[in-house]
Amino acid sequence: MATDPLDAPFTALATFDWGGDPTPLADLESRVREAAAAPPLAGELEPRFAELLTSSAPLAAKAFACRQLRLIGTARSVPALAGLLADPELSHMARFALERIDGPEAGQTLREAVPRVGDELALGMISSLANRRDEAAVPLLDALLSGPEPLAVAAALALGRIGTPAAAKSLAAASAASARYADAWATARIDCADQLLADGDRTAATALYEAVAATTGPAAANRRSRGLRIAAQTGLLDCLENA
Amino acid sequence: MTSANRRAFLKTAAATAGALSAAPYLITSKALGVGEIPPASDRIVMAGIGLGNQGSGDQRRFLDNPAVQYVAVCDVRTKWRDEARGRANERYGNKDCQALLDFRDLLARDDIDAVHIATPDHWHSIMTVAACRAGKDVFLQKPETLTLAEGPVMLAAARRYGRVVSGGSQRVLEDYRDLVEPVWAGELGRITSIDIDAGPSSMECYLPAVAPPNDIDWDLWLGPAPWQPYHPGRCDGNFGTAGNSWRSYVDYSGGSLTDWGAHNFGGCLFAAGLGDLQPDRVAWHSDDRGGGYATLRFPSGVELHCNRPAALRPHDAPAQVTHQRGITLRGDGQTVPPRAVPVYRGSRGLHGDFVEAVKSRERPFRDLDIAINTMVAAHLLGIVRQLRRSLTWDRSRQQFHDDPTANRLLDRARREPWML
Repeated sequence: MATDPLDAPFTALATFDWGGDPTPLADLESRVREAAAAPPLAGELEPRFAELLTSSAPLAAKAFACRQLRLIGTARSVPALAGLLADPELSHMARFALERIDGPEAGQTLREAVPRVGDELALGMISSLANRRDEAAVPLLDALLSGPEPLAVAAALALGRIGTPAAAKSLAAASAASARYADAWATARIDCADQLLADGDRTAATALYEAVAATTGPAAANRRSRGLRIAAQTGLLDCLENA
Repeated sequence: MTSANRRAFLKTAAATAGALSAAPYLITSKALGVGEIPPASDRIVMAGIGLGNQGSGDQRRFLDNPAVQYVAVCDVRTKWRDEARGRANERYGNKDCQALLDFRDLLARDDIDAVHIATPDHWHSIMTVAACRAGKDVFLQKPETLTLAEGPVMLAAARRYGRVVSGGSQRVLEDYRDLVEPVWAGELGRITSIDIDAGPSSMECYLPAVAPPNDIDWDLWLGPAPWQPYHPGRCDGNFGTAGNSWRSYVDYSGGSLTDWGAHNFGGCLFAAGLGDLQPDRVAWHSDDRGGGYATLRFPSGVELHCNRPAALRPHDAPAQVTHQRGITLRGDGQTVPPRAVPVYRGSRGLHGDFVEAVKSRERPFRDLDIAINTMVAAHLLGIVRQLRRSLTWDRSRQQFHDDPTANRLLDRARREPWML
């Protein structure tokens, strides 16, 4: 009976730990590179990596699998990756793959994890949702704005990165729960306005820049506030130039 | 506090002091300024983040600049931190330099005008954006970015917050004069193609776990990078890229491809007048041994061949010039008017150019925009090498055209709590 050439490297991976022989991993990396251009091969590799994530393999082995799924993972891997999001040791590596997987399943999994993984790990989910510019996360992030720091600040900054009209509406309506957060709110509004302007929504961008300009005032208290004022004013100039 | 504001503050403070007391008040010549040393109120207040091998060199150059008042250092290693503080205190003959573990505490100081950053590359984007938002100008060591997605975010922060941000390759101007001068003098005509020997990409790190020593905050060293166990070879700041240094490993560096690439790509793109451009197409040419080479095509039509075998290179170019680091520029040999080569401001090299730009609010020689374009060329090459297929780069969208797999490699998830 013919032996599957993937058996040996995956068997070695299942017990791999840092300091071990990386030769089988290099073999798998090479196969993943080939699979990135050849869907049939990816179809053979992906379920094996996903299966390893639900096994008792060492942390190093699971982290390696997540790195490979960053390149070839699909919706089929999402359930296995979702199972790691609440694990403090592997949550980030699960996002390492999930953040880069297209499609609604990965985004939905990250959103659903926010309320269940604890504040520290939720910051990672928010970061990944921001990088994905996940517009479906806007209601979730909006709800976090009225909560405690640091989730509220992270949610505001994520809304800024998402930068859609819905995100702008959320940021425009929010008021910093504490003066300590005011700069973060203003930074988020600037980011959001920049994105809106880049997308051609000059009216919404102008409103956000004006909101920041109004809060910083001509006699800004410190360097950071002065920077926000510069950002708002130059943003308004850009809006005029694009009129 | 800006120079103008500091001056205003000092005027007010002096008037108040005069009103309160008629007693004699001694001001030292150092504080008032003497010779080329400006008065304290006009000096650029600076601090450093990452004071290891490269950062300590940067610090010395800023300490040597009389226009700089150096006030704080930040490093996750006690040894680097203490040594850097000692250098600053020795320079000024006092004990005023503050030593900090966490860069956020340093950026919170409102009196600091500018920072230099020489951490491993995985920290560059987060720290640069945070510094710009905090109103600091930035001298950022190369390679300026670790991923393609970081560049636009960093540049947007620099521009929107009105900050001066300089990249860190001093070699671009200083090491490639034998390329730059004939090309800018018009001796080669219009540049048509370039060959460059690009270094290898970084690799995965599988070093074993070792108990971290007491003098490093390992979690903060890793920051946004994936958690991995401490090993001295994982985080050593030596300049090697073949193992046992952070420059060797993919989580912290692009390897020689970006580390030397910042110099070599930067030098040849500067010489060819391509610094403002990004490639729009990267072609992969496979060989019959499982390898190959890549060609980056610029919108101007210039082709930059990376590691093209010598046998495939043309030998009948109308005009060409070659640099000892494996760079050849070819031109059409036609007559083109000479242009003046841009140079640093002042006489204190790239670091002095940054200080002068901070004072004048002009773009520095190695403006972040140009530095990022250089890194884009290196990162594109790295991705094409990894995927071993040709790709089309859409500069306006900062994405690969019609290639979802390649677009997965634009960025990496950052470890909580860090976000860009």
